[in-house]
This record gives sequence, structure tokens and C-alpha cells, in this order.
Amino acid sequence: MHAHTHIVRLENVSKTYQQGKLQVRAVDNLSLEIDTGDFCALCGPSGSGKTTVLNMIGGLDLPSNGRVYLEERDLASLNRSQLAALRRDRIGFVFQAYNLIPVMTAFENAEFVLRLQGIPADECRQRVLATLEEVGLHGLERRRPDEMSGGQQQRVAIARAIVTRPAVVLADEPTANVDSLTADALLDLMQKLNEENGITFLFSTHDQRVMDRAKRIIHLRDGRIEQDEVRALPGARTAKS
Amino acid sequence: MHIFSLATRNVLRNWHRSAVTTGAMAFAAAIMILFAALMDGLLRDSERTAVAMNLGDAQIHRHGYLADPDLYSLLDDAAALAGNLRSHGFHAAMRLYGFGLAAAGTASAGVQLRGVDMDNEASVTLLHRHVLQGDWLAADDPHGIVIGRKLARTLAVTLGDEIVFVGQASDGSMANDLYRVRGILKSVGEDVDRAAVFITIPAFRDLMALPQGAHEIAVMRSDRNSDLDAARERVAALAPQYEVRDWRQLRPVVARLLDMADIQTIVMVVITYVAVATIILNAMLMSVFERIQEFGVMKAVGVTPWNIVALIYLETMVQTAVAAGAGGLLGYAAANYFTDHGIDLSHMASGFSFGGIAIDPVWRAYITPQSLLVPITFLFLIAAAAVVYPALKAALIRPVSAIHYR
Repeated sequence: MHAHTHIVRLENVSKTYQQGKLQVRAVDNLSLEIDTGDFCALCGPSGSGKTTVLNMIGGLDLPSNGRVYLEERDLASLNRSQLAALRRDRIGFVFQAYNLIPVMTAFENAEFVLRLQGIPADECRQRVLATLEEVGLHGLERRRPDEMSGGQQQRVAIARAIVTRPAVVLADEPTANVDSLTADALLDLMQKLNEENGITFLFSTHDQRVMDRAKRIIHLRDGRIEQDEVRALPGARTAKS
Repeated sequence: MHIFSLATRNVLRNWHRSAVTTGAMAFAAAIMILFAALMDGLLRDSERTAVAMNLGDAQIHRHGYLADPDLYSLLDDAAALAGNLRSHGFHAAMRLYGFGLAAAGTASAGVQLRGVDMDNEASVTLLHRHVLQGDWLAADDPHGIVIGRKLARTLAVTLGDEIVFVGQASDGSMANDLYRVRGILKSVGEDVDRAAVFITIPAFRDLMALPQGAHEIAVMRSDRNSDLDAARERVAALAPQYEVRDWRQLRPVVARLLDMADIQTIVMVVITYVAVATIILNAMLMSVFERIQEFGVMKAVGVTPWNIVALIYLETMVQTAVAAGAGGLLGYAAANYFTDHGIDLSHMASGFSFGGIAIDPVWRAYITPQSLLVPITFLFLIAAAAVVYPALKAALIRPVSAIHYR
């Protein structure tokens, strides 16, 4: 029996890649649940499987074995169009390299997914302006990515991820390409969005600063959970399993 | 942001490459419009020469005359029939044909004597306006003749020179008389150029002892845009006892050549555009490979493969539309110039023919809706075909590998 508060659930998930003649097991029989409103970090050394787990939760990659559920929907049961719709409506992505569309302004990058959802232009405009203000980009709406700093670009990426009010934001090394001041500012922002708006964040990260702020830290090694700790209070750590 | 704006910005993103691609498409479209207009000019000239200089739209003969053009195979009621045709809205002129030998000095040649209906021939054909030297026939000059240009060369005669005609009249007597060259025709076709001697019908009747009838009635529609088959049927209904053929039946080889010329234009368009397609394919593939990460992200945030295909197609169509506009204008301007001025090929040869029909050595373009629309339409079709692979490549990208593509 699974509680309905689990926004993400992985059941005995494995992922095997073919690398030349070698088979690489990136994720090995992994099971976990992420609760609604969590601020959770997947961490571990390179090759531990954290990005692969994130990709499978985001429906970007399929597991070789096992099941991935998002809001109790089995991702394996969805076809390409349904997966695309799920990503559009229920998941926000933040990437290490920002990955904004370079010909679009900050406003248009944030607006893009809303337009895909078919939201009327007026409502799009109100929501995008409010979201850009929320992430601290008021006045920069018309700037293109090449006219903004790395931190500003990542804020646009966060705005794009949250503007649709997704069930979960998956952030892959979101602070890896920015300086520490900017990283702190970005984390402040995401923490605020989590605490004030209840948006669930799931990070894959090496960054100690992310881990320090996470409510839950899942340590991965060789595709398995090495340690899963829940921090009840900032600074205090409790092993979950 | 509207997908059209996104496509336009993507086109302008690498404007050098877009300009080269669009320029190549525009240039090819312009060249093809000019080529199509020149081909249409050639066809129009050939058809005009075949129909308006010689055949007419249709001809009436006694059954068997075309296979065996016998002097006695006459349309006995030719004058009445021609008058009846004219009263039904057609232009109609009687013609008489005889064969014999023409001689001038020491030169001689077998010739076809052509009796011309001076009152009506000008309403059927434009031969009277196709005189290279001298004048057309005159009703009051029974001994004045007009001859083909190659015959003039064969007989080594010029204006005012005398020619002796010798043949057999219908009564079995020797038909011979002395005529003076009053005109030499421009090139019409091999048969006319080499052998035709034009003479007025009264002079023909005197010479060949044929007081009435005619071998042929040439018919022309009043409205050149009306249906040829329908016109032939109407003429046949008015002359049920005779054989009626339209010019396409009389010169099937020429008709087929003209029909095939349309196909030839399309083949040329396709061959040229295949080269353009490789440029489009290359440019769009480069554009897709440069943006693999971007497509990966777009798919990650919920863009469907069809949206990606639509975007790539729109980018190509934006460039194609610009190319079609620019190429269309350029091609139209060039074709318009050659409509007025033509390409003078007379210094290359003394005469040109297409399927045995002489054409004007000044090759003029003729702009038709088809000569504009075919190259433009094919440009869009070829561009659409060329971009199938890049569009599918972008649409089928796996977002997980595209996002991390380096």
C-alpha cells in the first residue's frame, strides 16, 4: 500500500546501457519514494546513477526493469505523446547548462511551455510576468540568454520549470555552472519556492550547498541507494533507511 | 511565442547560411521561370508557325487526298462550302495544289504550286505578313509569284527574276508559263521553304485548266481559345461528305513534340531543383545538428515530435517563400525582357526549325501563368521533399541523449 502523498515512486528499477561490447548497469534494482513538497537531493560520485534516475523519473529515459510512477501513473504505460504531455504539464526541468532557447527572450522562454499547454495569451502573460518577478528577473523580460549572466539564465530556467505549476521540478546539477554567490542565490530561490509554494524539488548534485539545504539526501553508489537520510531540522540528519 | 516567429528567428539565427540557401533557391527559381517562358515562347512560335502560317486549325479534303494528292481529287462545291463555313463563324479559304518543275537559268527544282484565295487566305493564315523580301501576291498580278526561301536559293533567283513552270494540266495538256518572283517568304517549314510556289487562284485555274473546285479548304476558328476538338466536330458536321482533320491530326509528330515540350520543361525543372535540394538538405541538416541540444530540451519540456517536424518545415517554407518571391520577381523581369527583346540567334545559323516547323531566329520568351507557377510550385515541392530527413532526424531525437549532446 502506497500513500497518496508519494509524488514519485520507483519500484525495483534497473537501467542497463550498452557501451560498446560492455553492458553498464547504471541503476541496480532501486526502489524509492519522493513525497509531495520534498526538497530532495540525489547525490553520489560520477557514474553512481543519479542523472539516470532523474531522467527516468522525468520520462526522458525508460528503465530496463521495474516501474516508475509519477503521481501513481506508470510511465511505462504511456505512449510518446502521453509522455510529452506529462512532461509538459506535470514536470519542470532545470538543467546544468540552463538549456534556454537562444532565439527567445526570457519572457518567451518562460512562456513557451504555457503556450504549448494552450493557455490563452493574456493568462500566459500574467503568469509569466508574475513568475519572472518571483525569480527576481523583473525588468529583464526582454533579454535574450546571451544578454544575461549564468545566474540570470538559470533563473529563467527555473521560471520555465515552475510557471506551469508542475508536480515536481527535476534539477540536474543546477548550481554546477555558476559561482558560489549565484549558487546560494539560486538555492535561496528554490528553497523559497519549495517552502512558500509547496513545489517538490528533486536534485541530482555534487554540490555540498545543495545537500546542506536538502530536507532529504539520497546517496547513490553503483546504481544503488547507499544511504537515505531525512533532515527533520536544518543541520540535523536522520537516517531513513 | 507563435511557432511562425520562432521559425523566422531560427532562419535569421545563421543569416549567412540562410541567405546562401535562399539565394540558391531564388536563383534556381528565376532561371527555371526564364527557361519555362523561353520554352513557352518556342512552343507558341512553333504552333503559330504551324497553324497560322500554313495549316490553319483544320483542313477539309476529299477522302484519300492526303494519302494521294491527286490533281483531280477536288472538293467540287468548295466555294459554297467555304461560304457556308464563314456564315457559321469560321474563317475559311480555298486552296489548290499542283505539282511540276520550276526552272530558272540552268537550275531547276520540283515544286508544289499553291493556288491562294486572295479574298480569304489572309483571314486564315498570316503568310501575307511573312514575306522576307518583296511583296505578297496581288490579285491584279497573275504572273507574280511568291516562293520559299530555300527554293529561291536552289533556283538562284531573287526579286524580279523569271521562273518557268512546267507541269501537266488537268486536261492532259502541258501547263507551262513564265512567272516573275515578286516575293520570297521567311522560313515557314521544310515543305514550304524548299518547294512552295504561291500563285493566285485565277492564275492557277488558267494554268492547270481547273475552272472550279479546290483541293483543300483551310479553316480557322474565330476564337483561338475555343476548344479545337469541338471546332473540328462542328466543321465535320458542315462537311459530312469530306475528310476533316485538325492541325494536330495533320501534324501528329509536331503535336506530340509540343506536348512533350511541357514534360521537358518539368524534367529540366526537377533536374535543376535536385541540385537545389542538396543545398537545402545540407543547410537544414547543419541547422538540425547545431540545435540537437535545443530539440532535446524542447522535447523534454513537452514539445511533440510533430511540433518539431512542423517547426523544421516552417523554417524551410519561410526560406522557400522568400526565395519564391525573389526568384519569381527576378525570373519574371528576365522573361519580360526576353519577351520584348528576344535572343537573336540569326548569327549562328540562317534558319531554325523545331519538329520540321520553322521558328523565328529571334527566340522570344512568352510568359504564361504556367511558366510562373510550375517552377514556383516545384520549388516548394522539392524543398518539402529535401527537408523530410532533417525534420525526422530532429523529431526522433531521444531527449535524454540530445540534452547531453556535445
